[in-house]
Amino acid sequence: MRMKTGADTFHVATTLHGAVAALADRGHAGAPLAGATWIMRAPLRGGPQQDRSYVALSRIDELRRVEIGERDITIGACVTHAALASALAHIDGCAALVQAAASSANPAVRQVATIGGNLCAWDFASADLVPALICLAANVELTSPDGVERISMERFLARRSELAPGTLLSRIVVARTACGSAHVRLPLRRSGDYPVAIVSLAVKLGQNSTVLTARAAVGSVEVVARRWETLEAGLVGRPLDPQAAAALAGRCLDDFVARDGVEAAGWYRLAVLPSLVRRAAQALLPHS
Amino acid sequence: MAEVTLNFPRRDARDKLRGRTRYTIDRDVSGVLHAALLRAPVPSARILRIDTAAARAMPGVRAVVTAEHAPGRHGIGIADHPLFAAGRVRYHGEPMAAVAADTLAQAQAAAAAIVVELEPLPAVITMAEALGPSASLVHPDWRDYEVLVEGGAHGGNVAWEATVLRGDPEAAFARADVTVVESLFRVGRQNHLSFEPRAAIAAFEDGRCHIETSTQAPWTVRNVTAHLLDVLPSAVRVTVPAVGGGFGLKFDCALEPYAALLARHAEAPVRLVNSRQEEMLTCLSRENAEIRIRSAVTKDGEIAGREAVVLMDCGAYGGEQIFLTTMTAHTLGGNYKLGSVRLASRAVYTNTAPNGAFRACNGTYNTFALERHTDEICEAIGMDPLEFRRRNVLGDGNLGATGQIFEGDVLGPMLDRMAGLRAARPSKQAQAGDRLYGRATTVGTWFVFVGPSAATVNLNADGSATLVTSGVEIGSGSMMQGLPQIVAHTLGLKPQDVVVRAADTDAGGYDVGVGGGRTTVSLGAASMAAASEVRRKLLDVASGMLQTPPEGLTLANGRVEIAGRPGTGASIAEVAVQAQKLVGPIAGSGSFTGPGVAAMPGCAAGHFIDALDIPVFAVHECEVAVDPDTGHVEVLSYAVVQDVGRALNPRAIYGQIQGGVTQGLGYALHEEISIGADGSIRQSGFETYRVPLAQDVVPVEISLFEGAPSIGPLGTKGAGEVPILNVAAAIACAVANATGRRVQELPLTPPRVLELLLGRGLPLDFPHIATAWDDNLLRPLAAASWQGRRMAGPDAPGP
Amino acid sequence: MALLLTVNGEDRTSGHGAMTPLVDVLRDEFHLKGAKPVCREGFCGACTVLLDDHPVMACLLPAGLAVGARIRTVESLAPDGALSPLQQVMEEHDVVQCGMCFPGMLMSLSGFLAVTPRPTRDEVKAALSGNVCRCTGYERIIDAVLSL
Ligand SMILES: Cc1cc2nc3c(=O)[nH]c(=O)nc-3n(C[C@H](O)[C@H](O)[C@H](O)COP(=O)(O)OP(=O)(O)OC[C@H]3O[C@@H](n4cnc5c(N)ncnc54)[C@H](O)[C@@H]3O)c2cc1C
Ligand code: FES
Ligand code: FES
Repeated sequence: MRMKTGADTFHVATTLHGAVAALADRGHAGAPLAGATWIMRAPLRGGPQQDRSYVALSRIDELRRVEIGERDITIGACVTHAALASALAHIDGCAALVQAAASSANPAVRQVATIGGNLCAWDFASADLVPALICLAANVELTSPDGVERISMERFLARRSELAPGTLLSRIVVARTACGSAHVRLPLRRSGDYPVAIVSLAVKLGQNSTVLTARAAVGSVEVVARRWETLEAGLVGRPLDPQAAAALAGRCLDDFVARDGVEAAGWYRLAVLPSLVRRAAQALLPHS
Repeated sequence: MAEVTLNFPRRDARDKLRGRTRYTIDRDVSGVLHAALLRAPVPSARILRIDTAAARAMPGVRAVVTAEHAPGRHGIGIADHPLFAAGRVRYHGEPMAAVAADTLAQAQAAAAAIVVELEPLPAVITMAEALGPSASLVHPDWRDYEVLVEGGAHGGNVAWEATVLRGDPEAAFARADVTVVESLFRVGRQNHLSFEPRAAIAAFEDGRCHIETSTQAPWTVRNVTAHLLDVLPSAVRVTVPAVGGGFGLKFDCALEPYAALLARHAEAPVRLVNSRQEEMLTCLSRENAEIRIRSAVTKDGEIAGREAVVLMDCGAYGGEQIFLTTMTAHTLGGNYKLGSVRLASRAVYTNTAPNGAFRACNGTYNTFALERHTDEICEAIGMDPLEFRRRNVLGDGNLGATGQIFEGDVLGPMLDRMAGLRAARPSKQAQAGDRLYGRATTVGTWFVFVGPSAATVNLNADGSATLVTSGVEIGSGSMMQGLPQIVAHTLGLKPQDVVVRAADTDAGGYDVGVGGGRTTVSLGAASMAAASEVRRKLLDVASGMLQTPPEGLTLANGRVEIAGRPGTGASIAEVAVQAQKLVGPIAGSGSFTGPGVAAMPGCAAGHFIDALDIPVFAVHECEVAVDPDTGHVEVLSYAVVQDVGRALNPRAIYGQIQGGVTQGLGYALHEEISIGADGSIRQSGFETYRVPLAQDVVPVEISLFEGAPSIGPLGTKGAGEVPILNVAAAIACAVANATGRRVQELPLTPPRVLELLLGRGLPLDFPHIATAWDDNLLRPLAAASWQGRRMAGPDAPGP
Repeated sequence: MALLLTVNGEDRTSGHGAMTPLVDVLRDEFHLKGAKPVCREGFCGACTVLLDDHPVMACLLPAGLAVGARIRTVESLAPDGALSPLQQVMEEHDVVQCGMCFPGMLMSLSGFLAVTPRPTRDEVKAALSGNVCRCTGYERIIDAVLSL
């Protein structure tokens, strides 16, 4: 289906292959459009009008599915935040992702905004799903005319702003492990805001809550979310203790160069990290 | 007289709930052109050239106008404000040209194609810069401006200065038995964020300009537009559909003259609507302010002397702040009995977007400053803050700052009422958990802005009445509820039988505008007077019909009855029909203005209002929990005791209080405006300008305090403006109580609170406020002070 | 090519481009002016409509993405002038002020109440967390909802 837009054409794809082909065809003039909640605000961010030739992805059924397998969970790029939160609500280990999807933005935006759009909005520092997926060691699947490629979140984040025309984020794959995970975000109001800082934490606990493995990610503090390896290293091998984790975090703040923004200065984003770590650790302790 | 119908439902609710109400932004006008403004991208510059030739040649363009098409200036107090930047840009966002075209996109494209050559000039962005030693002047030729109201000192970057001197503060501060407490405060701006932006549609009909607009002040729009278009005021007609929120933003003329000028040049109707980004960039915000206040207090808590300097940022043009310098005397100088007092309130020009009026205006931050200062006094002298307030609040016969004599004991009994509420409700301290818990009780003084209003009431042959005024329904319900109730009460009708004509300057007489809590009072009094004239005429005719003198007749339930003999009279409709035959249709007109309560002569200089005709008081109390890790403040409970005179619509007042307190919570906790080095406002919309959402508020516990003296009709006072007055004060005092820190700034966003808790920030310091109070004044107070001292003599406590 | 849209049960054709925000098509072309474009960035909720029964922000929805879905606006709530129960409690509780946020509030609430018929106060607040009201302070709107 093709429809007229102001500048060019609007194509509603119904298959992944069709979308990839249509995008490859358009070259740099084209762009994928998922929930459009980021794209429609481009002019407000000082960007150009929506003058690209968009290929809409939201009617591609195969990208709207969440498949929960024995070893993996595969999430289509067009799954909305709301659908993601409800599909994974009772799946062990996914708490961080569920909390991220269920608490970002507001109900009407969660109804429309997609996981793929959240990951591909490369100029958006506060994306909730990014640190959540980093802490879950997710991989992403890219589909292009040349085939399918699976890469880590970290590699994807490094590459995402310059994906070749015709390359789509098609799926996100999260391995099912025995880890517990938590996502602690700090908006300035109780709800409806972008978080000014995010800590996502996944740990595997042994006897006496000893941390066997840990993956931590920090979002919204720097321009792009990333792992917090010194914190991970400090947590492993000791019983998970929220206070100690917070103190550890406080000692590792130099790991980040926090960004200043209209809503909060960099120092604030750093200053709250220890307490976000404490809350995440608290949430991961077995409830006595 | 008939009973007043209480809790009369709003007649505009249905259409609003059905999405059928047509606000200005919703109006369709056939053949309407769309307009766009070209706004300055820098805060200060000389305009070397504006070339509109290319823009005029673009597709769809019908008119392009600039300063040369409207050279006049307008203002409040001083005519300092041109329609377009003329020769000089004074703030980022200032209009330099306007375009009308067939479509909005065409108008925007043409505006962008106007060639402007600017030579940057130094800018003063903060008041500290504006008052600094070698500050560049925002208005280098201020001396040439027309002065519209005499009395205020002004000069350089000071747009207006109002002062108060009563008694001998010098002597009070020198007393051996006083403790001197000094506090500094700073607050930011607040954007109204009314849902409907400023919007106007202008068209010329029969040689006159008709403007449909989203305004609170149709007569101001009429007069200012006429002045800028250089036509007679009577050549402009203003009508006002439902207004999607005002809160003071729309108390001034805004987009209307641009639309009118374009309509005149294009010879077609023109629509101009601000985008949300433009609303943020150029909002006539509640101004940012800086305050230094000192008090000399005895160990018993008697305030022997008080002095303060308040700096109010008016932005590039004086506007409302010139008027508002007046309100410092009545707010910062309010609440408490003062032995002696001197206050300086200065509106300061900066190269930033002009500020304006916002619900309770500078009352909000002056109350914040006063109440925090009061708590600092209590700490210094070791007195319980509630006890201090109980001893010192103004009561019957006490003198206000300007020497007005207050009537009635109001604040004292209101504090008692609040104590009762507190005793009846368990503390929410447990909900604070690990967080820091605090509570506070604050008092506040505001007023009803009276002033001229006119009304006409026509009695129709079907027994209904039509009320014609220039009042606007901005959402508060006063026009939909209070006014029909007052007319119905006077005429013995049901409120639903009173039709209220939407504002139209061709139909209703002069009115100052809807704001300042004045609708029910001023328009109400004018409506009551008009209805009383109708009543008299009606009874005269009925008297003939019923063979009974008018004194022997009663009006109720749509009927005239002979007193004591129900059922013997006639319906009002029958009398109206009879009147039409005998004397012609019955109509009445009425008017009102403030009675002008006296101040003490010589106390106030540069003031627009020396004393309050109708003071309004409020007592607020809240409990908060402060998160020591993140600085988040949660409001656990909120209670209000409000002086309403008399409550005609308790439910509607509850709605005003819940809404006003919520706006106050936004001001106290969330809503922040910062100005970048380029002089532009950094918050560009709802994403970065955070107002409270449903999860950020609590149900407000409300007690309406009735019976305080009021000259308002049926004893009413305005109830819609004052609920926001002491919210910031209550929250700030509670946060100070919870954290043990000196809260000096608003809003208390999480970063600011954490900064306080961590002791990160530097203490406030205002090098641009002189330590010796007199050194702040443009005009020494010699003459006034001599008189003030003499007048205040008997009341001043001796050393 | 024209866009075929189903609005309030009626098939309608729009001549706008597919990237035009749905709110502009509804207002400028179909004269359904209930939905208000107040922020145009997804943060105020005044433009909320139902898309296949789910509340969405019409300012962020390209009209092309609404093709094939059922769109419902506030105008559909009282088709013959008889207020819906939700509208009725709003009127009875005297909660409307300037009224600009209500079209969006009512659509958010309609979508929410259809799946959560007996909500708690906190659930109502969470459902309204994308709807700003600058006038009322919310609580009395929530009282009205809970009285249903
Ligand atoms: C009011 C509001 C509040 C918000 N609050 C939050 C919040 O708290 N936390 C948060 O994380 N986010 C928040 N967001 C941002 C929101 O999550 C993003 O706008 C959204 O995730 C983007 O998803 P989308 O499907 O709408 O993307 P779109 O706008 O459709 O696309 C975004 C970008 O990704 C590209 N793209 C989309 N899909 C693909 C794909 N499959 N492959 C390759 N490229 C693709 C597009 O070309 C575009 O460049 C908020 C948004 C709004 C409007
Ligand atoms: S206008 Fe759509 S959310 Fe504000
Ligand atoms: S009633 Fe005015 S915005 Fe809600």
